[in-house]
Amino acid sequence: MRDESLTGSRRSPVTRHPSRLLIVGAMLALFAPWGGAQNPGEFLLDFSEAELRRILQHGPWPPPASRDPSNRVSGNAGAIAFGEKLFFESRLSAKGSISCGTCHVPERGWSDGRKLGVGLVEVDRNTPTVQNVRTHRWFGWDGSSDNLWSQSIRPLLDTREMGMTERQVAETVRSDADLACRYEKAFGARPPADDAAVLVAVGKALAAFQETLVSGRTPFDDFRDALANGNHKAAARYPQDAQKGLRIFAGKGNCSLCHFGPNFTHGEFHEIGIPVFKKAGGVDWGRYEGIKRLRANRFNLLGPFNDDPARADGMSTRHVALVPQTFEQFKVPTLRNVALTAPYMHNGHLATLADVVRHYSEIDPTLLHMAHMYFDPLVPEAVPTDTLLKPLKLSSIEISYVVAFLMTLTDTETGKPRNPLPACR
Amino acid sequence: MRIALKICTFLAAAIVPFSAVAQSCVADLPGGRKVESEHYVLSYRTRPEKVAISQHFAVEIAVCPKGGDPAPESVRVDGFMPDHNHGMNYRAVVKPVGDGRYEAAGLMFHMPGKWDFIFEVRAAGRTDRMTATLLLQ
Repeated sequence: MRDESLTGSRRSPVTRHPSRLLIVGAMLALFAPWGGAQNPGEFLLDFSEAELRRILQHGPWPPPASRDPSNRVSGNAGAIAFGEKLFFESRLSAKGSISCGTCHVPERGWSDGRKLGVGLVEVDRNTPTVQNVRTHRWFGWDGSSDNLWSQSIRPLLDTREMGMTERQVAETVRSDADLACRYEKAFGARPPADDAAVLVAVGKALAAFQETLVSGRTPFDDFRDALANGNHKAAARYPQDAQKGLRIFAGKGNCSLCHFGPNFTHGEFHEIGIPVFKKAGGVDWGRYEGIKRLRANRFNLLGPFNDDPARADGMSTRHVALVPQTFEQFKVPTLRNVALTAPYMHNGHLATLADVVRHYSEIDPTLLHMAHMYFDPLVPEAVPTDTLLKPLKLSSIEISYVVAFLMTLTDTETGKPRNPLPACR
Repeated sequence: MRIALKICTFLAAAIVPFSAVAQSCVADLPGGRKVESEHYVLSYRTRPEKVAISQHFAVEIAVCPKGGDPAPESVRVDGFMPDHNHGMNYRAVVKPVGDGRYEAAGLMFHMPGKWDFIFEVRAAGRTDRMTATLLLQ
């Protein structure tokens, strides 16, 4: 039974907090004149209170730096340098031919531009960017890792990707003077004889490096901050088409419900109607299998390699639910620098950003979830999951607006040449 | 006469503690919200007070039986988005902490929108369900 006495709880945070109402009201007053005539080259839509609220939630950027409590060398300069060296080290693959950087290419938004990733052989999924990973809760398309160092270890040992053994990784570090030197600078001691300890340390150094891969500020961030500061003149310099696309993104498109927050992802999983049959046969069950792998992973946050003795960051792993609704779900990716990381979706099924927007515009809900019913014991009857996704039926010009907005999430820093690391002494 | 005395003693032992619980039970957490079913009054508050999108939070719960209804044997809490037809990606764990109070850990509302808290109180083979809505923006 629903308690209608709780009607008050349905009020928006703005109406519950008069100070917010004043701020939004003042912003609306500032922007009202800009809904109509503008100077040439300047244009500002008359965004509603709800639109402004959603837009402002996509910042500020960059997020404040924070250490990973599960990784004792998170933020450590020596570990970051060691991790960078390891990231581009092809001796960490069975044939000495590929490194992490083979698939996570800086100039390609730390992805590879391929439909499916290629390690020692082609794999089943598209290569996700490693930019902004320090803000994530789950790693990989299926979230089978709950921490970045565990996720960094996974491809090293995957026979299809880099194909190393624990012993081979440890031996490579122990036997190379430069790597051993960097290990000591990061961890305060020479690499030990314990192979697992060296492997985990390699993962943690790789994580420390990847934590530094934060994308730069974008035209959208300047626009968002101008709105937040009431600087309508600066806001009006944001491209007109992008503003119209943003209005769809944060409005009728409902894109920002999942692509939420400063990193344009709420960090969780959805099934969105992308084919799940693997090229090599079989079905990619996505999050469902990911949770099973997570629980079986000795490097998860509940295990002995977490440097946080309190395991406080293991909350999500302790409580994650393995339920049928997770079938064929994949992680909602960041949209920062999304223009650099085509093709899209977990299997590279869509070639361009316009294809992605068109997918949501034409999506057929009957193909989405009828096969998977939500059997939560607290829900009176099984129902098709996630009825949020409905065809948007956007016009071709509206699709171009959304793409124009997505293009403004591109920074100018990504892909710039990196300075070579000096030798370790 | 002895048998009658024993019965009275037994009933007193069984009923008095229950009545004491029922009378002392207060389902009114400071700053909390209250929901009711036919048999129970439930007060709850979230910790932190403001639920953040896609962040874990806990729920403190106090449950009292109405009239002569039995004390709860167990309490559950879940979240559901009625407009999306899906719930949380996490299972809350509810632990009794005494005096009709419970603490639920591990909840997360991962999207903006309308969420229903769903509370279940089980006792004597019966389940009472109560819901309360939270609009997350």
